Amino acid sequence: MPPLGRVNTVATQVDLNAPASSVVRGVVVQTSKLFPSLFRSLDTNRRLTILDVGAALPETVQFFSRFKCRIHFIDLFSEPVVRELQQVSNPKELHHQFEKLLKLPHGSRLDICLLWDFLCYLDDPALRAFNNVLRPYMHSRTRAHGFGIHHLAIRLENKQYGVMEEDAMSVRLRQTKQLATHPHTQVEMHELLSCFDFERGLLLPDGKLELLLRARDDILEF
Amino acid sequence: MVSTTARMTTPNILKYMEINMFDKRKSSRQGSPQIKESIAMQENPSVAAQAHSPAIKSAVIGLDIEITGDVKASANIKINGHIKGSIVESSHNVEIGESGKVNANISAKIVIVAGLVEGNIAGSEKVLISKTGSVRGNIVAPRVQLEDGALFRGSIEMDPGKVVKPVSPAVSRKAGNSSHAGSSIKDSSIGTGAAPVQDTGSKESGLALKSG
Repeated sequence: MPPLGRVNTVATQVDLNAPASSVVRGVVVQTSKLFPSLFRSLDTNRRLTILDVGAALPETVQFFSRFKCRIHFIDLFSEPVVRELQQVSNPKELHHQFEKLLKLPHGSRLDICLLWDFLCYLDDPALRAFNNVLRPYMHSRTRAHGFGIHHLAIRLENKQYGVMEEDAMSVRLRQTKQLATHPHTQVEMHELLSCFDFERGLLLPDGKLELLLRARDDILEF
Repeated sequence: MVSTTARMTTPNILKYMEINMFDKRKSSRQGSPQIKESIAMQENPSVAAQAHSPAIKSAVIGLDIEITGDVKASANIKINGHIKGSIVESSHNVEIGESGKVNANISAKIVIVAGLVEGNIAGSEKVLISKTGSVRGNIVAPRVQLEDGALFRGSIEMDPGKVVKPVSPAVSRKAGNSSHAGSSIKDSSIGTGAAPVQDTGSKESGLALKSG
């Protein structure tokens, strides 16, 4: 059995109550118990910086329009480097590719990273490269939200996500071909995504693990 | 660098285009404005409806028109053709129709995109990307709205508490290379040799073209 280390402290719970969901104009609205924690600690007196690695969706823009903010929409799911991970085996090349994709303005520090299920589609070298490229854009209060899967048997549906409300996300079918999934245990993910600590985890009825992440202690104060 | 910027009004825009299309000297120096067909200036109810004043008219850049250069207007602009340049600027509204394509930055009060834009958009009131719209660039506006189906890649900077006064093209030209309007707008004013233009606020539409 692998050593659990700090990961053992992650408050992973089984969500016994299935998330309430409703369908509005073809969009499934799914409540999230972790979302409120993501937005609770925001300093809204200054301009917020948000990274969404998914497609720009109307509800996400509408939600953040109440804040003074800058949202970077970089649909990494559609990028060739992510769609053809097998063809890029060199870690340096992977780093270079992610660096090109995540080229945020100089001095940008992210308050929120919306990772959705992107991490599930990255193999180990890609996850490490993504982590290393993201790290310079983080500050000590950066938080992230995402999903993980720890087993290949868990079927990941080809969905895209948006922010509907402080406690709800939108779920839509993704039109593009689904990518190959790369499950990671929490221990593996903790090692590979080393700029984050796992604050909370919630096991959803479909087998996905909903994750709330916060910047590790060694990330510099903003 | 000699500028070809000129204030266009409804009666003389065709004359302007004729002059530029056949001025080979100018073309060889600056790259000719590739105006393939005529530009029609007409009232456009859909854009006009967006304007605060019913007196503001609209300039329509038609489906088969391709312009290489900058476009500045004191009227609403609807773009159904293709513009390649550094700036499309209006002190009122800019609408890119479904067939419209803009490879330039856009600055206006309200910007509505139903076509394709590759460039940054600054809206002093609002930017709307409709269901057929596609934007690759950065948006700065107090309010931004995406419709279902809209494609966007870039960053969106919003500030619900801030309403920026629109940059008047006329003022921009008068100010020469002043830095108030950002680098892209500043660049578009370089070498402007046209006489200062008064924004009269009259009902007559104004459109200025500058070769790229």
